[in-house]
Amino acid sequence: MRDHSVLAVIKFLAGLLLMAAGASFAGQPIQANDMGLSKGSVFDTPTPKVYRYDNTPPGESKVLPRAYLNAPPQISHDVSDFLPITAQSNMCIACHNQPAQWGKKREPTAPTPIPPSHFTDQRKAPGKVTENLVGARYNCNQCHVPQTDAAPLVENTFSPGRTKK
Amino acid sequence: MTVSRRDFLKQSALASAAAATVGLPISEAAAAASKSAEAGWRWDRGVCRFCGVGCGIQIATEKGKIVATKADPDAPVNRGLNCIKGYFNGKILYGKDRLTQPLLRMKDGHFDKQGEFVAVSWERAFDEMEKQFKRTYAELGPTGIGFFASGQHTVQEGYAAVKLFKAGFRSNNIDPNARHCMASAVAGFMQTFGIDEPSGNYDDIEHTDTMVLWGANMAEMHPVLWTRVTDRRMGDPNVRVVNLTTISNMSSGIADLEIIFKPQTDLAIMNYLAREIVTRDAVNWDFVNKHCAFAAGPTDIGYGLRGSDKFDYAAEKDVNGKELTMQLDAAEAIGQGKQAGATVEQKNRITPDKHWLITFEDFKKGVEPYTLDFVAELAKGDAEESLDSFKSKLKQLADLYIEKSRKVVSFWTMGFNQHQRGTWVNEQAYTIHLLLGKQAMPGNGAFSLTGQPSACGTAREVGTFSHRLPADMVVNNPAHRAASEKIWKLPAKTLNPKVGSHFTKIMRDLEDGQVKWAWVQVCNPFQDTANANHWIKAAREMDNFIVVSDVYPGISTKVADLILPAAMIFEKWGAYGNAERRTQLWREQVSPPGQARADIWQIMEFSKRFKLKEVWGEQKIPGLKEEGFTDGKLPDVLSGSSYSPQATLYEVLFATADNRKFKWPDKIANKHDNHTAKLLGDHWFPEKALFEEYAQFGRGNAHDLAPFDMYFRDDVRGLKWPVVDGKETHWRFNEAYDPYVKKGSGFDFYGSAFKSLPSGDLNGITKQEKTSIAGKAKIFFRPYAAPVEQPDQNYDMCLSTGRVLEHWHSGTMTRRVRELHFAVPTALIYMHPADAKLRGLKQDDIAWIESRRGKIKAAVETKGRNRPPKGMVFVPWFDEGVFINKVTLDSTCPISKQTDFKKCAVKIFKA
Repeated sequence: MRDHSVLAVIKFLAGLLLMAAGASFAGQPIQANDMGLSKGSVFDTPTPKVYRYDNTPPGESKVLPRAYLNAPPQISHDVSDFLPITAQSNMCIACHNQPAQWGKKREPTAPTPIPPSHFTDQRKAPGKVTENLVGARYNCNQCHVPQTDAAPLVENTFSPGRTKK
Repeated sequence: MTVSRRDFLKQSALASAAAATVGLPISEAAAAASKSAEAGWRWDRGVCRFCGVGCGIQIATEKGKIVATKADPDAPVNRGLNCIKGYFNGKILYGKDRLTQPLLRMKDGHFDKQGEFVAVSWERAFDEMEKQFKRTYAELGPTGIGFFASGQHTVQEGYAAVKLFKAGFRSNNIDPNARHCMASAVAGFMQTFGIDEPSGNYDDIEHTDTMVLWGANMAEMHPVLWTRVTDRRMGDPNVRVVNLTTISNMSSGIADLEIIFKPQTDLAIMNYLAREIVTRDAVNWDFVNKHCAFAAGPTDIGYGLRGSDKFDYAAEKDVNGKELTMQLDAAEAIGQGKQAGATVEQKNRITPDKHWLITFEDFKKGVEPYTLDFVAELAKGDAEESLDSFKSKLKQLADLYIEKSRKVVSFWTMGFNQHQRGTWVNEQAYTIHLLLGKQAMPGNGAFSLTGQPSACGTAREVGTFSHRLPADMVVNNPAHRAASEKIWKLPAKTLNPKVGSHFTKIMRDLEDGQVKWAWVQVCNPFQDTANANHWIKAAREMDNFIVVSDVYPGISTKVADLILPAAMIFEKWGAYGNAERRTQLWREQVSPPGQARADIWQIMEFSKRFKLKEVWGEQKIPGLKEEGFTDGKLPDVLSGSSYSPQATLYEVLFATADNRKFKWPDKIANKHDNHTAKLLGDHWFPEKALFEEYAQFGRGNAHDLAPFDMYFRDDVRGLKWPVVDGKETHWRFNEAYDPYVKKGSGFDFYGSAFKSLPSGDLNGITKQEKTSIAGKAKIFFRPYAAPVEQPDQNYDMCLSTGRVLEHWHSGTMTRRVRELHFAVPTALIYMHPADAKLRGLKQDDIAWIESRRGKIKAAVETKGRNRPPKGMVFVPWFDEGVFINKVTLDSTCPISKQTDFKKCAVKIFKA
């Protein structure tokens, strides 16, 4: 087991650092209006910003970094003409269904191939890669989402650990 | 259509040769690929923090931090899949503005309601909390305090909270945010089956061939269940999916049939279906005669509004006045067999839940007016659709339900539950399934989905509602109080028999000064309660003390007097129960930051500050009238008991001799920590002890939980209760699956609540003598009732609110994750382009959205994922900067007291 008192000191210091971010040392009061994701009084009526989704066409955008090991990648290009996904039409599959590209080096602008995991039905045939995209993976935008030009509302200190790439 | 769908999947098919090159099963492949990267990581099981689906996840930690999560490939709920939120379970812990110290409003070193927040020690925080509590308790007694609990409380936290409040403080003013979420489902279950929670489970999706969504945008709100629906739909040409909704949404993409109806006319569509079943002679009489009884109730039950205009804004008075008398509109007059324009005094607004048995002939009379012509005219929600097209869709819907060879599952969530007649419409869903005999069997059943991760496990099963005790028991039943007092080892009459204030009522109590001390845990009530301008003002301007335990600052912490930093899900031990009765437990994975502490520790630590003599003496309860009690009073239960007046609530309720037998450390921890146990310092394991104590309520009582340790077995991924002899129950009330069903009955709706009833007709009770319908479910007739507030010339549009896929509830966790925030950075006004144009608005313009109660600003979206018909707008509520609950109406279902967030009248104009 770790030394608890050392841990407590570390935690305390970390706590102070976190509080410093919120400017809240004891004796340095924090105003309620400075808290939260929308600064100002709860009685105010702020004017929201207008955001725009990345309109880079497919084939011209850079792949976005994954948040952590095996996290679903975000969509890096304009999808406004590709949605909604319906039972009759899934424009994502039209470009990203590239099993021949699995494990191969590809042009930076080439579509990311839908990986083998999406061809594996963990419910009916666990572990077996099949010919067909699994139906449960059909709604791409339940896991992969496009990004706007927003800025973070507050910093996030999550770290994906010692992953290689 | 079917052909093209299959072709599409074929097009997407791989060359098998390509697949062969992969070689390894996927989980092994992934494992191999990540092996080097994962060195030194510890993986353990958990459950998703977000919705009621209850997906299993695996959590990786390294050096005391979560570094990754993955969907658990072995979890039967989700089989290796999460939704976009679920993939960020790890990252939600690490927003830089985590609350890490108690913060108290102070001026000159003292608490001051007008002061600014100052970091204080836990000791100082509890001192003030205790002082303010005791001031209010002395002045107002148990009804002067309130607790905003949560469907995100762990089972153990909810249990500790309800025990402290009901057994310790003798107050029933504890109610969860789940009141906003599925109280109508609960009331529907209790009135129909006499017992709460669904008969079926998620495997119904794989067993059925017809799935009907009623006010449930599953694609966004239950995404992983939607992957299962989609898989079923895409994989079998016989499968049909219907989406009944007031706005075209993401779930329509996979649906075969989209039916856009006018808000609240689902009541009429249900009656049309019932009428079709009857007139087409499709009633499954064998099932109905053996297992069902017909029932009805009063219609003059009000709208769950205050019933007093004392606190109304001038603009609110007209609508709020309808709580007492309502003029029937033409459609509801027809639907209720009454005169249009008649003024109806809402005589049953205090007794909305009473009901009685009727004959099938009366039921038939009730549904008779709901012809296709009448219902189509009333219910068609899209002005651009032809009446003929809408009629044809309703007919197709009836065909799908009635077709004998089809199995049908009906899903619903907030569209039904957040509804001025939410209990009724829940009951109508069972009516359809019971009439057809398509209930409680694999692939057949009306299935109420739930919104929050432990709305079922905690709010419902533990019973953190103002009227409930564990295992479906209620405070106003003497036998239930006695049973609870026995398990809790309380003197007789400790428990308060008077139902407490529901969630919205606690807000109203704060406004009128009846509640002066309130504690919030694991929810954001000042953002999530409708008509919020009243409540934020009450919090800040009335003489009261609001304690908010939270992990991040938000609207509720901003109006608090004391903020307590809480531990997040993976920083504590816990259990959640999902919508298919599956209870899932997890270990503490990482330590909470700074001074943050688990809610359960906060509850127990606070309980140490109360001696029995301070709470178990005589207490005044205004309005209490109950056999065996003096009016308006709870008796002194301390003198004559074996307890010492000096004993603390901690010793009597929590660290009991029995509970201390569960020692910490425990080998089940497998080297994981428990900061709660360590801080309490008494060498017991609170989360295990309280779980086992709580389980006593349900074992042998059709709510059986397995032993604590069993949930941590390698081959267990949660268990669906009742767990009897180590076996979970897949379908309840069905002899083939449920050990509680009477042998030889086939089906047995054994729930015991409301099973002895008077008889009458559609107009009321005609015979007071009670008849037992033990073992049967009820088929209710419930008429159409018009919304209390409808669009008019001034407020000319109808507003619905809800969630979005990317954010959880009020967004305090998910908006601190870059990937989720960037995906949906702000709440938009989704509206029809023609409605926008009419108001001089276009895409991205900022507009005002104003109701009788308040106004806010948001950007206009005319081509997004939600496409409302003309006259409707949709605004999500996750964004504290687009505070839409300042606009919404606090009308509730009068039976369930659940707010209708899905309809109120607004006007929209350019900002």
